Amino acid sequence: MKIVGVAACTAGIAHTYMAKEKLVSAAKRLGHTAKIETQGTIGTEDSLTPEEIAEADVVILAVDVKVNGENRFKGKTVIRVGTAAAIKNPVELLVKIEKALNANED
Amino acid sequence: MEEELFIGDIIQESCVNLHMQATTKEEVIEEMATMLMKAGVLSSKEEFIKDVYLREAEGATGLGDGVAIPHGKSDAVIRTSVAVARCDQDIEWESIGEGPSRLIIMFAVNTNDKSKLVTLLAQMAVSLCDETIVQKLFQCEDSQEVIQLFSKKGEVA
Repeated sequence: MKIVGVAACTAGIAHTYMAKEKLVSAAKRLGHTAKIETQGTIGTEDSLTPEEIAEADVVILAVDVKVNGENRFKGKTVIRVGTAAAIKNPVELLVKIEKALNANED
Repeated sequence: MEEELFIGDIIQESCVNLHMQATTKEEVIEEMATMLMKAGVLSSKEEFIKDVYLREAEGATGLGDGVAIPHGKSDAVIRTSVAVARCDQDIEWESIGEGPSRLIIMFAVNTNDKSKLVTLLAQMAVSLCDETIVQKLFQCEDSQEVIQLFSKKGEVA
């Protein structure tokens, strides 16, 4: 799967970046690609390009707060979880998402 | 040229306690704030603690596997810094994972700080995603080594 996503937490200091790290590592382990934009207290990093969003199979929002630019994902399959879910069980989360996507295609 | 910063710039050795005797979350937060206050990081311990609890009220800061990362974004922080405490006893701590916490990493962030120092905190949080680093943090007996362990970047940059 091609995954894009956004991570953002309440304080924008720690959980945002841990969620990103965990999702990217889990994706790598499962043979997916993932690019995760972080919206933290220091601003937005690794911004998603329109091309990346267009090519993605799924958008994962690992967020505890409102994200900037959510309308960019209009028409895409968007999965919304908290940063906690991404940090705690990233592999499980991605496996579940992949299954759900495949089921939709059948 | 941009100044290179290292983890050592945000952790002072005096803000690391590898054998904290506190037995409750409240005592841990109090003792860690005291370390930060003594190190000259805070302008008001009480105000900082208040902001730490504000964040606690917004969601669990325990990560599971014995680690918690309380943090305060506060006007009472003079310079963005970190305190590290490893408690001799398990501490009951609201967590997104299982079990109590023993290794507590407290981030003290100035409300208006958007500098590289905050990027270092993010890097520290990311290093906590690495099981081998966490394991070593539970074992090491040297404050300097703690600082060095956090200086290692996670696998995925």
